[in-house]
Amino acid sequence: MTVVHDHTHAVEAAPPPPRRGWRRYTAPGWWRVLWLVPLSALFATALVAGSRAALGYDPLLLQAVWLTTLTVIVPLGFLVGIGGFDYWAYWVSGRPTRPEDHSSHGAHSWKDYFRVNTDHKVIGIQYLVTTIVFFVIGGMMAMFIRAELAEPGMQYVNTQAYNGLFSMHAALMIFLFIIPAFAGLGNYVIPLMIGAPDMAFPRLNALSFWLLPIAGLIMLSSLFLGAFAAGWTNYVPLAVEQPNGNLMFQMGVQWAGASSIMTALNFLVTIITMRAPGMTFWRMPLLVWANFATSTLVVIATPFIAGSQFFILFDRVLHTDFFNPGAGGYVIGYQHIFWFYSHPAVYIMMLPGFGIVSEVIAVFARKPIFGYRLMALSLMAILILGFSVWAHHMFVSGMANWLRVPMMVTTMVIAVPTGIKVFSWLATLWEGRIHFKTPMLFALGFVSMFVIGGLSGVYLGSVPIDIHASDTYFIVAHIHYVLFGGSLFTIYAGIYYWFPKMTGRMYNEKLGQLHFWLTFIGFNATFFPMHWVGLQAQPRRVADYDPSLGNWNLAISIASFALGASTLVFLYNMIVSWRSGEPAPSNPWRALTLEWQVSSPPPIFNFDEIPQVVGSPYEYGTRGARHAIVNGHSTEAETPAPTEELVT
Amino acid sequence: MRRRAIIQMLVIGVLAGVVTGAVAVIVPWLPDAASEQANEIDDVYWFVTIICVCIFALVAGVSIYAGWKFRARDDDMDDGAPIHGHTGIEIAWTALPVALVVAMSIFSIIVLDRITTLPADHRTIEVKAQQFAWSFTYSDLDRTEGDLVLELRKPYELQLTATDVIHSFWVPEFRMKQDAVPGITTETYITPTKVGTYAVICTELCGLGHSTMRARAIVLSHADYEKWAAAKPEGGTDTGGTGTGGTDTGAEADGMALFTDNGCAGCHTLAAAEASGTTGPDLDKVLAGKDAEFIRTSIIDPNTEIAAGFEPNVMPSTYGDQLSDEQLNALVDFLLESVGS
Repeated sequence: MTVVHDHTHAVEAAPPPPRRGWRRYTAPGWWRVLWLVPLSALFATALVAGSRAALGYDPLLLQAVWLTTLTVIVPLGFLVGIGGFDYWAYWVSGRPTRPEDHSSHGAHSWKDYFRVNTDHKVIGIQYLVTTIVFFVIGGMMAMFIRAELAEPGMQYVNTQAYNGLFSMHAALMIFLFIIPAFAGLGNYVIPLMIGAPDMAFPRLNALSFWLLPIAGLIMLSSLFLGAFAAGWTNYVPLAVEQPNGNLMFQMGVQWAGASSIMTALNFLVTIITMRAPGMTFWRMPLLVWANFATSTLVVIATPFIAGSQFFILFDRVLHTDFFNPGAGGYVIGYQHIFWFYSHPAVYIMMLPGFGIVSEVIAVFARKPIFGYRLMALSLMAILILGFSVWAHHMFVSGMANWLRVPMMVTTMVIAVPTGIKVFSWLATLWEGRIHFKTPMLFALGFVSMFVIGGLSGVYLGSVPIDIHASDTYFIVAHIHYVLFGGSLFTIYAGIYYWFPKMTGRMYNEKLGQLHFWLTFIGFNATFFPMHWVGLQAQPRRVADYDPSLGNWNLAISIASFALGASTLVFLYNMIVSWRSGEPAPSNPWRALTLEWQVSSPPPIFNFDEIPQVVGSPYEYGTRGARHAIVNGHSTEAETPAPTEELVT
Repeated sequence: MRRRAIIQMLVIGVLAGVVTGAVAVIVPWLPDAASEQANEIDDVYWFVTIICVCIFALVAGVSIYAGWKFRARDDDMDDGAPIHGHTGIEIAWTALPVALVVAMSIFSIIVLDRITTLPADHRTIEVKAQQFAWSFTYSDLDRTEGDLVLELRKPYELQLTATDVIHSFWVPEFRMKQDAVPGITTETYITPTKVGTYAVICTELCGLGHSTMRARAIVLSHADYEKWAAAKPEGGTDTGGTGTGGTDTGAEADGMALFTDNGCAGCHTLAAAEASGTTGPDLDKVLAGKDAEFIRTSIIDPNTEIAAGFEPNVMPSTYGDQLSDEQLNALVDFLLESVGS
């Protein structure tokens, strides 16, 4: 697990000196967390009890108020303790700061992954490992859901627990797995790809990572407070009537959203200002384009879900009436605000995957991306159109009827740029030399599954069909084809593809292929029949269903257990290969993009000299064409060997 | 060479199309169609299906062919052909999808207009949704039922309201779905075309009893409908609920009907009403030995005393407003008798 970076950079980045004795309680780190977290909890409690006593309210510690205050103050205490604000605090208080302070940069031992670290490569791995933990937790919840649905009637859990399981499953997978997993991959890869030594704001980057476990723990704690059980969409008025576990979703979303926004801003500034000389926008790899579009979506859209959950929180805790129909509240208004984020969120969960797949397909087909400029422009088209389709989630909601037709048309039109991308990937395969390695299998698996998810999306985009199919298992099938067959397959592709770069070791190819085929078959066997049970009569989010659908639900459950088991192959491969896989060369895939032109793992500041970009990143098959000159060596397609010598 | 490639690809594409088409046609994807709206919606469904099968066949044809023909050996260090794009092809695969989505949109708009327009002389039924029961008020007949009773081939407008949270009305065989939202009235339209009994299903998560929130939609022929409409509930109040077409007499029968029509059976077990819900407490057990006052309070203000193992705020607290005094008495009497107190 230990990853030791080379010290080839002129600036030495020494680890912070170990603190002994009582001083370790004042230095940033877990010892300081140990007393600051209880102290901040105590402070929050005293604040609530004190102010309520002063106002003569009873009880002193009303749970909703207490929890809200705790979930604001305790995370701040944790962040102060771990050292998220130290440098800024020095700055603000006028104490001396070192302008070239790299003391928190890089990983010298495994312990450096458990502290505030400003190295984008460390943060990328922190993100990925954390999100995979939440992925496993969310996946186990899915297993419980399928166990309960295996036969009609209630067997293992009661309805409250069941509703909590599917709500939490979705919330974890969306907010703590897919979105931050892409942030993790982007964190690791983007500075390398554009020839930058790090992200634009490394301290902000570290802070955005540490918000993530906070968000996850807050959401998980709802299991002990009367589960968050109104579905991840958390529609009102049901959300307002729920036990206080629901409140933990509202606060968890705030921390995850803040993390998301900070990372997106960081990506935007990094991509705009830190590209290596010669890397014009038209020479950026498509992954960078994709993260540019995604980050724009995140920055514009995320405040809307923050607002929607704050309004519910205010209705619950402050007794405002944003969504109280009895007091003139606007019930459907919640859905508009929610989906104004949550539809773009679908693209937040898709576009980075589009980028990954473009990289993988070009490299493993040994071909330039077909229609590169149209590929980049279609990302921007999706970004813009993505903001004009949200009400297709609301065709039967009772919203203003005239909105249905324009939202249907924009929804249909967004199939055009998406179609362009699929066709271009297929055309990239044409006359290629295709190597079916694990990343390529997942990339092609993604294309085929995404086509099915896209086509079922066309059904749902048509208002008359949606009137029948909405809120049924057809929707469950559709979103899993898009988010599992889509996003998750691209995350797998990205992890396998960059695993050698990140860890300096090769994964086990045989296990990788086994993982792919088990996942691919298990996935289709699980989710394809859901289209049918949905169109027949099975609504989504039910703990029990009509016994006539029992056989199919049993089949789906059995397939889902096989799908769940396939994840174990992945985890085993990752852990064992990370510890003892074959050492990876700097460029095992003979790729042209910049991250493969440095050692695996890369030096602590990525490049000893800033590279000079001279051409497109996808010039496979053109003798003598170059993407960049790194340390005097050109990155030619046919000559991967010279970069090997750079590994020190 | 090039012609051969195109022919091989066409063969694969056609095969993929035939297989996908067979899956689309042979598997009965849609339930029975029992309303005019269902027939219209099914037309759009099949139109979209034809287009989707063609696109899927195209994609499958190209990708299977590419995977088969362009596969490289592990030790093959060559690159593919440096093809960067083709303006003509790129224009084609932008324009063709535009044409297809325009066609699907126009078809959908026409059908949407047809399924949401009714002749002026349609009937209206008020649908009230609450946790976890449906009630249907037939204002022309001056009665309220727990079942949706429709006459064959008559156009109906359903006006939906909700008393607590959002619910959604769906009858798969009618294909029509509409949310019932507290604070506003929403509409949906049904013109039934087949006699039969169908399930009314709530499709919007509405709380713990969500999966039990069901009612029956009964389509009757003209003669049967007349018979049902004429069978006025005996001695019942104007809004009194009765079983469908029932000839109920006495407090016991009324109480039983109230019990089922108000959704009690969805959540509670009660042997006398053949109810087996598990979301709420088993009434045969928790009401045994209790007096009328306890039962009445538990209906009006369920949070007063919560049975062991259950959460507060699950059972609606609106029954006090919703049931008249006579109905409440009838229900309490029925429960007293049922549990043998």
